[in-house]
Amino acid sequence: MIDLDTDVDTDAAVIRLRGRLTMVNAAALRSTVTDALEAGRTRIVLDLSDCEFIDSSGLGAVIGGLKTARQAGGDLRIAALTAQVSTVLQLTNLDRVLRPYDSVAGALHGS
Amino acid sequence: MAADPGISLTALADPASLDQVHTLLEAVWGAHEDVGPTDRTSFAIAVSEIAGNIVEHGGGGQAHDFSVRIRVRPQQLEAEFEDPGQRVDVDLAAVQMPDALAESGRGLALALRCVDHLEYRRDGELNHWRMIRRRTDV
Repeated sequence: MIDLDTDVDTDAAVIRLRGRLTMVNAAALRSTVTDALEAGRTRIVLDLSDCEFIDSSGLGAVIGGLKTARQAGGDLRIAALTAQVSTVLQLTNLDRVLRPYDSVAGALHGS
Repeated sequence: MAADPGISLTALADPASLDQVHTLLEAVWGAHEDVGPTDRTSFAIAVSEIAGNIVEHGGGGQAHDFSVRIRVRPQQLEAEFEDPGQRVDVDLAAVQMPDALAESGRGLALALRCVDHLEYRRDGELNHWRMIRRRTDV
């Protein structure tokens, strides 16, 4: 399940992923990110605190979102990773390009 | 003692079936609570990636089923997949993790990092995948 929370700063959006992010819902994440960017919300935070599992398709959607956000002059940050997501990020060497933030607040307001 | 038949699933080779694969894994862990969290996480990643590969690439326009059987051994975790989809053209020895900003192509590389042994073979009209993860919790 993917929830979009725009009740934050006017140029930001928090996308909350619940359950599993796999090829089943990877396209939905991509379109949610695109919708937020088109609404001018270029600072996007993925809240992964309830994301129990991510696969390579889900990871591809996150990378796609990161690239789209940067092309729009913004950024996409990931926050509150579960152990499984951290493991996948490390195994794919993506922890170097997607630095995990401990919390959504930290990702929204940190540097 | 009879050989452990494992726990198996047969489902349509369609992305929607991935949830059933995760449900199967939950049943396996429920029946084998001694399997540690690191082994569970790594094995589940590899199983999910191979299942994802089968349901994404294997169809060739024809609807078909795939099956997966999981066995928990004292020293290792094993999974075997079988499906009548298209032959998979892959050299597992040559698989590499793609560049950081690639949006696809990580599945098999990720699976290979999670298990000790992964093999693919085409036998007649069937694809077979087999994986083994040696348990680190024993």
